[in-house]
Amino acid sequence: MRFLLNTGRTIKQGSFVERKNNPSYQVAAATILMNPVDMLEIMVEEGNHVRVKSDTGEVVLQVSPDNGLTRGRVFVSLGPYANHIVSPETHGTGMPDFKVTPVSIEPTDDPVLTVSSLMERCGGLPYED
Amino acid sequence: MKIEDVVCSFCGCLCDDLVVEVDGTRVVSVENGCTLANEKFLGDHRLKTPIRRSGNSWTKISYEEAIAETAAILLDADRPLLYGWSGTFGEAQSIGVHLAEILGAVIDNTSTVCHGPSILAIQEVGHPGCTLGQVKNRADVVVYWGANPVDAHPRHMSRYTTYCDGFFRKDAFKERKVIVVDVRETESSNIADEFMKVNPGGDYAVLSALRAIVRGKGDIIPARVEGVSREQLFRVADICKSAKFGAFFFGVGLTMAPGKNKNIRNAIELTEELSRHTKFTISPMRGHWNVYGSNEVFTWISGYPYAVDFARGIAFYNPGETTSVDILKREECDACLVVASDPGAHFPKACAEHLARIPTIQIDPHVNVTTHLAHIQIPVAVAGIDAEGTAYRMDGVPIRTRKLFQGSYPDDLVVLEKLYAIVKEAKG
Ligand code: SF4
Repeated sequence: MRFLLNTGRTIKQGSFVERKNNPSYQVAAATILMNPVDMLEIMVEEGNHVRVKSDTGEVVLQVSPDNGLTRGRVFVSLGPYANHIVSPETHGTGMPDFKVTPVSIEPTDDPVLTVSSLMERCGGLPYED
Repeated sequence: MKIEDVVCSFCGCLCDDLVVEVDGTRVVSVENGCTLANEKFLGDHRLKTPIRRSGNSWTKISYEEAIAETAAILLDADRPLLYGWSGTFGEAQSIGVHLAEILGAVIDNTSTVCHGPSILAIQEVGHPGCTLGQVKNRADVVVYWGANPVDAHPRHMSRYTTYCDGFFRKDAFKERKVIVVDVRETESSNIADEFMKVNPGGDYAVLSALRAIVRGKGDIIPARVEGVSREQLFRVADICKSAKFGAFFFGVGLTMAPGKNKNIRNAIELTEELSRHTKFTISPMRGHWNVYGSNEVFTWISGYPYAVDFARGIAFYNPGETTSVDILKREECDACLVVASDPGAHFPKACAEHLARIPTIQIDPHVNVTTHLAHIQIPVAVAGIDAEGTAYRMDGVPIRTRKLFQGSYPDDLVVLEKLYAIVKEAKG
């Protein structure tokens, strides 16, 4: 199914900005909020994993329901997971389209990667403190 | 020891009324702060020493070694990018701009992915703003558009708007009307008197509709504009027009949405339109505690607030070309110095991949997402905890952050001055 992805700040993500290797940061940044009816439609429950794909890339996230979201819209807090699927195109403004990325979402059994393994995929070397 | 009037160096509210208890080099309690402030002051998760990536492992190195190698990398680069700066104080930002000038580098700050579009709009049509003190004492209508202060600026409402009594607003909670405009329901929209839910990407049209109504051209408004009913648009326009003093705050929900700088221009022009009827002001909700300072410092030295390119020997500014995301996406820079920010977390993947490809050096107290992409990281003292310096609040008011104890880390200024000295000597 197709959805429109929005990203933004959340207090949970904000609380862990200085502990980004912490599993709680991963939960805050790798959770996708969906309308509960949409969750029924793609047959996932809270905590299940989904593969989210855009024209730019794909990433595995865990689902959480949010009644405040209109059907067809999903939200991920800003951070490395959301940025795996946001396009770097800025249309000459310097600013990527963080608020409107068309994505498709399907259930998966694949794990949600840790922040460091996500960066390893980008060519980095995990640093564990 | 209890220290009063401590400044919180987390978000752009730069609250200066915290009471922090310190025991030696440890913060033991924080009063008056929000959740984010408590995490900031009580959390102690710093990188202990400078580290360097050597092949497939990390090694600890000394500060001298780290700074010397950083200087060598930057001197060797043809197109270095110096990015970040919003999480440090003005004195360190100033060394950064001078460093960029002698290196012929591009220097950019985090506005590039937050309120850069607001700056572009302000450069086109000006900024009818005011200080937060004016809002607190006078505003009877407050608009939050594309902003969720409860999550991003948790004390904005209790220090300046909804829950804060002012000189002319003795019973703020009853007297102030709060309008929230957003594409989704949030904690902030839940406490609004009026919540306007706009379709994603529909802000420009809704702002235009409000401008038309305020101008007296309401008869051209269709039954619905981007998910908002005609009735609600008229109601909101009416609330705004009958305000004695209106304060419009906007967040990245407006700067990052389609239309970007044009959304902000439209919002400023709506403010102007409303000021024909009453007094209305508009201000961006700045995110990092000193991102406003980075714009100020860059401007007073180079003439431009962000995305400044010194490759030609003079300052050149062309957002869309000289902005970090564009430079990284084009794989143009061949070294990057990241100071007090986390592009690994906040830039699209293609940018993170390029940061991993080139030598990236990070000066930051904490392990963050960029650490995994970096070649070297140099830990420093945290401004507002064990380092002090000047910061600018989101309304442009400069406030000096305080040092609560003498720790063992050098601050950004000390590290950058050493780096600058080596580069300057090499450049002659
Ligand atoms: S609102 Fe912002 S500046 Fe004030 S205490 Fe919270 S995080 Fe700190």
